[in-house]
Amino acid sequence: MQAGLSTKNAPSASVVLPHFAFGALAFLTASVMLLFVSEDLKNAQYFFSPHLLALTHILVLGWISMVIFGSLYQLIPVVMEVKLYSEKLAISTFALFSSGLILLSASFWSFTFSHSLWMEIGGGLVLLAIILFAINAIKSAAKTERKTIENTFIVTAVLWLLLTVILGLVIVFNFAFNFLSISHLQLLKTHAHMGLAGWFLLLVIGVASKLMPMFLIVHKLPTKLLNYSYFLINGGLVLLSLAYSFYPEKWLLALSGLLVVSGIILFLRFNQIAFGKRLRKKLDVGMKLSAMGFIMLALTILLGLVSLFRPSFLQALHLGTDVLYGITIILGFLTSLVLGQTYKTLPFIIWLKYYHSKVGKGKVPLPQELYSDKVANWHFYTYLIGMPILIVGVFIGNVITIQIAAVFIIITAVLYNYNVFKILFHKEKVQ
Amino acid sequence: MKIDNLTAEEQPIFELLKTVMDPEVAVNIVDLGLIYEVNLLEDKKEIHVVMTLSTRGCPLGDTIMQNVEVVVEANYPDYKANVELVWEPEWTPELITDAGREAIG
Repeated sequence: MQAGLSTKNAPSASVVLPHFAFGALAFLTASVMLLFVSEDLKNAQYFFSPHLLALTHILVLGWISMVIFGSLYQLIPVVMEVKLYSEKLAISTFALFSSGLILLSASFWSFTFSHSLWMEIGGGLVLLAIILFAINAIKSAAKTERKTIENTFIVTAVLWLLLTVILGLVIVFNFAFNFLSISHLQLLKTHAHMGLAGWFLLLVIGVASKLMPMFLIVHKLPTKLLNYSYFLINGGLVLLSLAYSFYPEKWLLALSGLLVVSGIILFLRFNQIAFGKRLRKKLDVGMKLSAMGFIMLALTILLGLVSLFRPSFLQALHLGTDVLYGITIILGFLTSLVLGQTYKTLPFIIWLKYYHSKVGKGKVPLPQELYSDKVANWHFYTYLIGMPILIVGVFIGNVITIQIAAVFIIITAVLYNYNVFKILFHKEKVQ
Repeated sequence: MKIDNLTAEEQPIFELLKTVMDPEVAVNIVDLGLIYEVNLLEDKKEIHVVMTLSTRGCPLGDTIMQNVEVVVEANYPDYKANVELVWEPEWTPELITDAGREAIG
C-alpha cells in the first residue's frame, strides 16, 4: 500500500453504519420530545429538570456522539493515516453505549434526584463504552507517524470525554450517597462544560481543520491559529473545571471563560480564512448546514458571555439565556454540523462499499446521487426556520412558540431520517 | 512538468484520463491537476502514470488510482498500467486548469 492513502485502512461498513442509523433515530426521538418539554424549557433554570436531562443526554450521546463515533472510525484513517486499532472493540462500544444510553435517558425522564439503580447501571454501561472507545482511539493514534495538531485535538477531546463521563457517574452516585461537599449544580456545570468544550469542541476543531481544506479546496492555512486555540481552550477549561468545583468566584470563572472564548474565536478566524480562500465557491447542502453551525457557535459565545457576566439589567427580565446557551450549542452548532457532515461522510462510506471495485468498469452513480438533494435542502430550510423560532420561544419563555419550533425540528428530523435510511438501504446500480 | 511535453502517443492517454472523476468534487483528475506524468514505455509494454492527490489521507485516493488503472488497461489492452502516487511536488490549487475551476463552481 502506498503511504498517505486511507481506503485500505477504512473499517468495515458494518462497524460504522449502525452508528448513523441509531443517531438519526435518536435525533427523531429528541425532536418529538421537544414538543413535550416546552413547559420545562419555559420554566427551566439551567438544565436541572428530569425531562431536560433526558432530552439533553439523548441529543449529546444518542445523536451527536453516536454519529461522531461512527464518523471517527472512518476518519481516523483519513486524519491519522493508520488503521483503526480494533473493530471488535468498536462493535462492543456500540452495544454498551446504546444500551447504557437508553437506560440512562429513561431513568432521567422519571428522575427524583435520589438513588436510582437503573441510572447507575445505565451510567456504568456508558462509562464502560467510553473506556473502550478511548482505548481504541488512543491505540490508533499511537500508531501514527504524523504528529499533527489535528491529531492532538482529537486525542485530547477523547480524554475530556472520558473525564466528562466519569464526572457524570460521580454525580449520579452522589445523589444516592452524597459523599461530595460540592453542590450538584456546580458539578453539573463542570460536567457540561467538559463535555461541550472539551469533547465536542476540540473534536470538531481537530476534524474540521483536516476536512475543511479537502471539502472547500483550499491550501496553506494558518495552523498556528489552531496551536494557540488548543492551549487557550484547554487552559481555560482546566481553570473553569477547578473554579466551578473549588473556587466559584466570579472573576475566576470570567477569566477561564474568556480563555475558552478566545480559543474559539481563533478557530472561527481559521474558518473564516479557509472560507475566504476557497476555490469551491458553490456550497452543497452539507457545507451550507455546516456553515450555519458556525453562526450558531458565534451566538453561543455571545450567550455564554451573558451568562458569565450576568449584567444586572438582564437579570431583572428573567430571560432564558442560560437554557438558550445550551440549546444554541447542542441543537444549534453541533446538530447543524452533524446534519451537514452526514452528507459529507455517509454517502462516501456506502459508495466505497458498493463501487470501490467497480469504478471505470461501468457507469456508477456519484456519492452525491445516493440521497435526495431536494429532501436535504428542504430540511435545511425547515431547520433554518425552526431554530430562530425556538430561540425566540425560549428567550421569552412562550410555550406555543416553542411548540411551533418543535414541529419544524420534527419535520427536519423526519426528512433527515428519510435521506439517512435511503443511503443506508442503497441498492447497487452499475450500468 | 512532463505533461507539457507529451509525445503524440501519450497525448491521447492524457485525454483519456479526463474520464476519471474525483467523486467528491465531480471534476476530472486531469483538470484538477493531479496527473504529473504519462509515459508510454513501448519496450516494457507499460503505461506509467505519475499522479498525486489533493490531500494526504484522501479517503477516495486508491479508488481514483484504481480507476486510472482500469481505464488505461481497458483502452490499451496490450499494455500494463503502472500508476505511481507521489507527494512531491506537493499539489496546490494553482495546478487546477481553467476548465477545472469552472467545473468546481
